Amino acid sequence: MNNFFKLIYNESLKIYFRKSTWIMYILLGVIILGLAIMVNIYGEVNEGYEQNSWREALQEENAELTRESEQDPFFQDFNNSFIEINNYYLENDIQPAGYDAWQFVMENEMLLSIVSLLTIIVAAGIVANEFRWGTIKLLLIRPISRTKILASKYTAVLLFSLFTLFFVLLFSWLVGAVFFGIEGVNPYIVLEKHTGLEYVSIIGEIITGYGFQIVTLVMMATFAFMISTVFRNSALAIGTAIFLMMVGNQIVFFFMERSWAKYILFANTDLSQYTNGNTPWIEGMTLGFSITVLIVYYILFLLFSWLFFTKRDVAGH
Amino acid sequence: MSKELAMELINVRKKIGKKEIIKGLSFSIHKGEVFGLIGPNGAGKTTTIRMMVGLMQLTEGDVRILGKSIKSDYKAAVREVGAIVENPEMYPFMTGSQNLNQYARMIPGITNERLREVVQLVGLEKAMKEKVGRYSLGMRQRLGIAQALLHQPSVLILDEPTNGLDPAGIREIRMYIRRLAIEKNVAVIISSHLLSEIELMCDRIGVIKNGELVAIQQVNEKTEHNHLKQVQIEATPIEQAIQLLKTEHDIHAVQEKEQISFKSEKENIPALIQTLVGHNVSVFQVGIATSTLEDKFFDLIGENTIE
Repeated sequence: MNNFFKLIYNESLKIYFRKSTWIMYILLGVIILGLAIMVNIYGEVNEGYEQNSWREALQEENAELTRESEQDPFFQDFNNSFIEINNYYLENDIQPAGYDAWQFVMENEMLLSIVSLLTIIVAAGIVANEFRWGTIKLLLIRPISRTKILASKYTAVLLFSLFTLFFVLLFSWLVGAVFFGIEGVNPYIVLEKHTGLEYVSIIGEIITGYGFQIVTLVMMATFAFMISTVFRNSALAIGTAIFLMMVGNQIVFFFMERSWAKYILFANTDLSQYTNGNTPWIEGMTLGFSITVLIVYYILFLLFSWLFFTKRDVAGH
Repeated sequence: MSKELAMELINVRKKIGKKEIIKGLSFSIHKGEVFGLIGPNGAGKTTTIRMMVGLMQLTEGDVRILGKSIKSDYKAAVREVGAIVENPEMYPFMTGSQNLNQYARMIPGITNERLREVVQLVGLEKAMKEKVGRYSLGMRQRLGIAQALLHQPSVLILDEPTNGLDPAGIREIRMYIRRLAIEKNVAVIISSHLLSEIELMCDRIGVIKNGELVAIQQVNEKTEHNHLKQVQIEATPIEQAIQLLKTEHDIHAVQEKEQISFKSEKENIPALIQTLVGHNVSVFQVGIATSTLEDKFFDLIGENTIE
């Protein structure tokens, strides 16, 4: 087992010794900083309210929003949702928390698609690059089974994506803390849900929001990993995985009427369709069904990778 | 030197699709022996080497390393092998020592002392902190050898080890290899398509052609250099010269175009020439063939055809 950790360590070094990996992190950092600056300049960030005057402040805000809507009906829908949220605070007598690092982290959930992208790039290269560099020959003539080497590579990919995810969380929080401050350890906020307005914990929202995205991340990384092992070509793996990730939902919509549409991977990757009173994409789908479909795809991806990696000859170029 | 078996190939066959690339190779290599595998490009040298180290599966037959089968006892068998297959490719974005550490972590029991020892052996101490991407081909070749020797294997397999090296580098590699065989009793297998190179390094040579072993030849330096030589003499009249060699020196010479050709010890050549000149035969030139092996090689290989 100790041996296996050393292999994972080796694979991680191969990822982190490369300049391209550092460029990825720098890019993520720049995007997060850029978002914070954008929110700071263009976003109407509420700075928090005074203990004794927040009710007046909210009513004033509402009056302003109503006036704006009357002048320009274009903003009406947009403003109405703000007014509703403000009213919710007033009716339930909750003092709203100001915009802070936690909310910034929550909003950066969309950055997970970039994390997916980076994970796909790493997953696509981890086997194919060894073939491209020719180092696969020196790697496979060790007294270690090919299964173990493949497993160490896959684990290194998952660790990379986990690490990158935490990087986004932590760096967003730090940047958010610098720009917007921190409003308590576990602030609550009113959010518009499908069932109406709800007063929820931001940390809870962050966990569920990021958590649901991890499903897509792991599935697409595993898919790229499979293409990389089967075709030994990282560009192909990156291309197909990113393409499918982007058009996945459209594929489901396109075949929506067919009976087999619910078996498409992308109909099942978004597990949030079963929460908060949401309705599933296709009638008859349940959480258990989706999880089963996901597991079957996952096993198939890994099985193909394993078959091609362990059974095929390492021949010349 | 012990005659213990290091590696054994038993009727090794490889089919790719319907084409049989390796057609039943059988030979064995002893400890402390340097064995050369030679043949034209496309003869199956690299395929054979890939099967020896488990990169390719055998269609039939078996490879045994210290008696352990590469098929049924892969880990134990490959533990005893160090190899460079084709070019010594390393991770270009890592330094020499980072590369070696990668391989050191994959086999238990490799100490820092061992790492240092190997680096010293190949003379790369000064380049270990440099990125491999900036190495010359010769340096990479040496790092490749270091990597192959790290776990003190019983069998060292080097595919075209002097490919792309300058003459000084070739000489150095030759010296390492000889030293390893003599001092560490390692069996070394070298493949090449250059006979002259293999001749200088190896104790025995196996000639491969179209996936078949056509000959195994002992390279015995002593007999080669001090005893019979292939001598060619250009002289007229040619018939008289042949006759004289037979009557005076009991040498059976044959006519080859304008020359006569025969085998003789080097020390006897002046006496032969004196005989010829003494009988009024005009001698234009005398030559000693550099290698009888080379002739034999070309006889075996024939044209460099790939079927």
